[in-house]
Amino acid sequence: MGRTSKDKRDVYYRLAKENGWRARSAFKLLQLDEEFQLFQGVTRAVDLCAAPGSWSQVLSQKIGGQGSGHVVAVDLQAMAPLPGVLQIQGDITQVRLSTAKEIIQHFEGCPADLVVCDGAPDVTGLHDVDEYMQAQLLLAALNIATHVLKPGGCFVAKIFRGRDVTLIYSQLRVFFSSVLCAKPRSSRNSSIEAFAVCKGYDPPEGFLPDLTKPLLDHSYDPDFNQLDGPTRIIVPFVTCGDLSAYDSDRSYPLDLEDGSEYKYTPPTQPPISPPYQEACALKKKGQLAKEICPQDCPMSTVDLLPQSLATPQRYTLQTSEVEDSGVTCSS
Amino acid sequence: MDAHEDYVWPRATSELILLPVTGLECVGERLLAGEGPDVLVYTLDFGGHLRMMKRVQNLLGHYLIHGFRVRPEPNGDLDSEVMVAAFGSKGLRIVKISWGQGRFRELWRSGLWNMSDWIWDARWLEGNIALALGHNSVVLYDPVVGCSLQDVPCTDRCTLSSACLIGDTWKELTVVAGAVSNQLLVWYPAAALTDDKPVVPDRRVSGHVGVIFSMSYLESKGLLATASEDRSVRIWKVGDLRVPGGRVQNIGHCFGHSARVWQVKLLENYLISAGEDCVCLVWSHEGEILQAFRGHQGRGIRALAAHERQAWVITGGDDSGIRLWHLVGRGHPGSGVFALSFKSHSRPGVLKAVTLAGSWRVLAVTDAGALYLYDLEVKCWEQLLEDKRFQSYCLLEAAPGPEGFGLCALANGEGRVKVVPINTPTAAVDLTLFPGKVHSLSWALRGYEELLLLASGPGGVVACLEISAAPSGKAIFVKERCRYLLPPSKQRWHTCSAFLPPGDFLVCGDRRGSVLLYPSRPDLLKDLGVVSKVGAITSAPGAGSGEGEPSLAEWGPMSTLPSLHGKQGVTSVTCHGGYVYTTGRDGSYYQLFVRGGQLQPVLRQKPCRGMNWVAGVRMVADGNMVILGFHANEFVVWSPRSHEKLHIINCGGGHRSWAFSDTEAAMAFAYLKDGDVMLYRALGGCTRPHVILRESLHGREITCVKRVGSITLGPESGVPSFLQPDHLEPGEPVEPGSEGPGLIDIVITCSEDTTVCVLALPTATGSAHALTAVCNHISSVRAVAVWGVGTPGGPQDPQPGLTAHVVSAGGRAEMHCFTIMVTPDPSPPSRLACHVMHLSSHRLDEYWDRQRHRHRMIKVDPETRYMSLAVCELDRPGLGPLVAAACSDGAVRLFLLQDSGRRLQLLAETSHHKRCVLKVHAFTHEAPNRRRRLFLCSAATDGSLAFWDLTTMLDQDSPALEAAADLGLPFQLGSPCLTVQAHSCGVNSLHTLPTREGHLVASGSEDGSLHVFVLAVEMPELEEAVGGAELLPQLQVLEEYSVPCAHAAHVTGLKILSRSLMVSASIDQRLTFWRLGHGEPTFMNSTVYHVADVADMDCWPVSPEFGHRCALGGQGLEVYNWYD
Repeated sequence: MGRTSKDKRDVYYRLAKENGWRARSAFKLLQLDEEFQLFQGVTRAVDLCAAPGSWSQVLSQKIGGQGSGHVVAVDLQAMAPLPGVLQIQGDITQVRLSTAKEIIQHFEGCPADLVVCDGAPDVTGLHDVDEYMQAQLLLAALNIATHVLKPGGCFVAKIFRGRDVTLIYSQLRVFFSSVLCAKPRSSRNSSIEAFAVCKGYDPPEGFLPDLTKPLLDHSYDPDFNQLDGPTRIIVPFVTCGDLSAYDSDRSYPLDLEDGSEYKYTPPTQPPISPPYQEACALKKKGQLAKEICPQDCPMSTVDLLPQSLATPQRYTLQTSEVEDSGVTCSS
Repeated sequence: MDAHEDYVWPRATSELILLPVTGLECVGERLLAGEGPDVLVYTLDFGGHLRMMKRVQNLLGHYLIHGFRVRPEPNGDLDSEVMVAAFGSKGLRIVKISWGQGRFRELWRSGLWNMSDWIWDARWLEGNIALALGHNSVVLYDPVVGCSLQDVPCTDRCTLSSACLIGDTWKELTVVAGAVSNQLLVWYPAAALTDDKPVVPDRRVSGHVGVIFSMSYLESKGLLATASEDRSVRIWKVGDLRVPGGRVQNIGHCFGHSARVWQVKLLENYLISAGEDCVCLVWSHEGEILQAFRGHQGRGIRALAAHERQAWVITGGDDSGIRLWHLVGRGHPGSGVFALSFKSHSRPGVLKAVTLAGSWRVLAVTDAGALYLYDLEVKCWEQLLEDKRFQSYCLLEAAPGPEGFGLCALANGEGRVKVVPINTPTAAVDLTLFPGKVHSLSWALRGYEELLLLASGPGGVVACLEISAAPSGKAIFVKERCRYLLPPSKQRWHTCSAFLPPGDFLVCGDRRGSVLLYPSRPDLLKDLGVVSKVGAITSAPGAGSGEGEPSLAEWGPMSTLPSLHGKQGVTSVTCHGGYVYTTGRDGSYYQLFVRGGQLQPVLRQKPCRGMNWVAGVRMVADGNMVILGFHANEFVVWSPRSHEKLHIINCGGGHRSWAFSDTEAAMAFAYLKDGDVMLYRALGGCTRPHVILRESLHGREITCVKRVGSITLGPESGVPSFLQPDHLEPGEPVEPGSEGPGLIDIVITCSEDTTVCVLALPTATGSAHALTAVCNHISSVRAVAVWGVGTPGGPQDPQPGLTAHVVSAGGRAEMHCFTIMVTPDPSPPSRLACHVMHLSSHRLDEYWDRQRHRHRMIKVDPETRYMSLAVCELDRPGLGPLVAAACSDGAVRLFLLQDSGRRLQLLAETSHHKRCVLKVHAFTHEAPNRRRRLFLCSAATDGSLAFWDLTTMLDQDSPALEAAADLGLPFQLGSPCLTVQAHSCGVNSLHTLPTREGHLVASGSEDGSLHVFVLAVEMPELEEAVGGAELLPQLQVLEEYSVPCAHAAHVTGLKILSRSLMVSASIDQRLTFWRLGHGEPTFMNSTVYHVADVADMDCWPVSPEFGHRCALGGQGLEVYNWYD
């Protein structure tokens, strides 16, 4: 397949590398801004789950350039430093008041105008678990936002549009006067991700932000958010980015139409110490534990086999030749 | 069927679920398996076999089962009655089951209790249940009444990724929580002074560098095992965890998995782990790997259970398969490689060749021309004969058959062949066949009646010797029957041979990779005057015939498949079940058949990755096939059915001289190494005791589902057997009205796992049978299209069964065309057999490469994927159907299938959309007194639909079309006759239905909206058209409606069932009915289904009694039905 393969299949991946963005998701925030003017009048912004840092890059470029702008990035993982972005390494789900206080401190006591969160869990492939984990990440981000966001402030977070996404909408509606579901054109059709764009932070009367208790997702309500009835909270959907933008699903030839000549660019920022690092290193050296070979033990005496069990008959003639995905740049 | 009054009919009910197996638990002699919301109950029968007993449906509503906890009984009796708690996501339900004496009864089930948070673990505490919840809290729950008794959080309310509850009373209850910080937190809920007061963790244990997915505690040894995202398993010495403040010591850090580890389980003497790499590893507590179970496919093993007394490990996979493995000691039973200590002073010379006569006699020949026998029962070497003429160069082959027929043959460099009866070597017969070197020897055996020995000499001449034995058994007769001639090549000799049943032909493979067909008795053929038919015979004068021999004619092949296996040569040929199987060193095996005296390839297949030298196929006793081959430095016996390497012999790689033999009792593999004969032997032949409790479906997401047709099996075909309790998925009460002839729907699914699968879905039993899988694609398969559905024998002589043409396409712009034929077959549980024949294939990158050479066209492949396919059947006789493909590079391409699918050619293309085209759909417009017109609708990621008038296009461009076809250049489709901006973003589903006014067109999009409109096709009157000769139909949008927010996610399935009813399916897991025809489509009702990431849906009417069926494919497969 070669190293250019992903460049052909994913034009935004390639553009991100060529433009120095740490991940293709930078385009998503840019396109969201195009549609919603998210950065208008924003001087203090918080990027939750910031690593590898592409949204922070966008924020620092758009807000940090305005002189008085402040950007705070929070992530559990270490992140390569970015000019103009203040980094806090901490877990947003392990809610501590200190994180929120630290953020406010950096804004010199002022609340934030914008809180964004592009975090996604490492997907396990079990859909219900992944959707739950993503929802918890969003709710944790929301919980922090309730502490740091000014009234009327804006909150943008990634959502997985799965079975229970209406519960998320219903939860967000409690805190914001306007909730929309937006999908930038740089997000693929095949992906279930979208972004909840919540404007006008307006917590219910008497709401006291409390970081010691996690926000839990709502449950289905027989009256206004039914599991299988006609009444569901489905917020309006907005497609962001104009049609002239590149199509993230399309495979482009390496020489794009604008006449620029293709040159391979290596990834901007490879992942820093991923969990599988040690295992990969061991595998490379051939030091993963191996099965004790049957040859290594002497020919044993004849064992009686356990009776073979009845099996349903079938021929499955399959070979899996799916390529290893290997280390991928997060999107 | 419950009739909910507040819901409108029709109402879809789930009929069949094939989902990842996410929960497994052994309970005494039973096994519980959780699949979606259902529980499968398996029970151990008298023969010691696990058999499916019952499917308990819909235990967990819209949740998926992640685990079971059986209530411990004071008397320990779980054999007659049990209380089972099933949990998953936020749901919990208790069910009381009676299952004694092989009878299953559900006695009672509690309500479905919804928790406020995710349940990571549950534990029975004297009639109540403790639940470890998502944000590190514990709830004591009364499962009968359905109320929370106590709710204690930990002070550290982080999100967990796993939890484990220990202890049998609330007082001693211990929580081990796996936090997102990769730490283990140990805390005691009973330490809370008041309800709701957070408890401080007692201990924090760090070690893993990724989140912890699973934990297992072994009380008797005070051990805890954890499985993590960092691909390792850790063993901790924890002592009694119920005692606060104990020391935790990491005593093992096991790296063995090549991906994340999902599950871990500690047994008294073993540690079992399973993960994303689809491998289940058995470790000792010291961290050595004792066994590795490989066979699941796809994204890993999700559930693990062990039966310690039976020494079983049971795994459930993402591929929805369930497998049982035997924990037997180390390595394979009774197997091993051992040297036969040939080297001795009494046996001079160096070994040159080895062979096996049956699985218990080894023959070897030395460079001194001495032939030796080793009998495994006697366990010593014995010299059979010595012949100086067979010094230095000597070939050795034993005759096939269970005991090698008691014969072997030697050949030397001077054209001499010696046939030796092993028991009476003195009766050996010598023959000089050629003036030069004998290049190869092979045997062909027909039953016990006819035994031939084929020897290749110089000049591609193959001598065919007929061998017979005297009735006394003391003498043998060798007679040269005829000579064959191989096609010219550099290395011109044959490599293998076999009789084609009933025995009139021989199939041979040669060193050049060609497969050849010869008459086994050419003279007989000549006598009968059939020679003219054979045609290909070349009666060349005996160019190299031997000394003194009467000049024999050399017979050419009747049929040749030149270089089928490439330059490395054919390695074996086997005939079985009406097919010929050939293997080669090109890493593939072919299925062929002979029709009208001609060899025809049916299907090319590849064994497991990395097996580049396929050496042979064997049919084993259980009716399955195994593949033999060399994989790097190992000899491997691989089962295509279970994807399992049954035997692995670390022999060092491909050998000049090796032999394999299998009988029902044992299999043996002999090879030469370091001047000695090495022998691997395993009892039980090629079968292994591992059991597939449930077959797997697809290893990855299903991308497309298409119903082909249905087969009706009469009672004589064994329909009642569907109702027997012992097959794949029995146990459903037969729906009233579905009795009578057994109706089986045939459905094709394709998947990202690169395969296309043919499934049988009987209407009577709610079961599914995978009939066959086609795996010719090198990348993911995204779409299939079907045409020409008929019956075997054609319309003239219809026979029971079904035939269809299928075209599949997907990643790397690859397309394959094949036929399927499903026929009744009494032996398999599905009562059906499916035959696949590959017809043609096409790859865009290869096509462009050719074009570059021919036309100097510079077009670099942008790694196009085919997203969707549609078949347009032309009304022009003789012209095959058109296949329209939606391409990711922004093009819609039309392919022409000619010669009933054997030729696949790119005909036309258009880049109108300039964006990734997601869907294509073809439909015909028929109006009275008018010609049938063919339309194509294509839809892209920008939400626009384009309509193309194919009939006009083909008419206009007919000459151009043929010219283009000749040149191999596609012609351009021009501009569409209508475009409709239906959605704001990608169109993921598209369907049309002809109506009075024209066509009802419906599309569903990524934004969750539906768009429905009436498309009118207006044909200009004939008079009007006289002048311009333009008879173009005008397309017009009449009524247009849009339903925003119809779904909360992509609408990936859409079907207009009638002018008043439409059904849609979405990634938000709702199947929704819409009423049409009264203005805007209105919501009727919806059902929550369990397949995540649904990529496609197909619906079809079955029968008035059975109603409609609907298959949803995504991460699993679910079938719904409703009455209309």
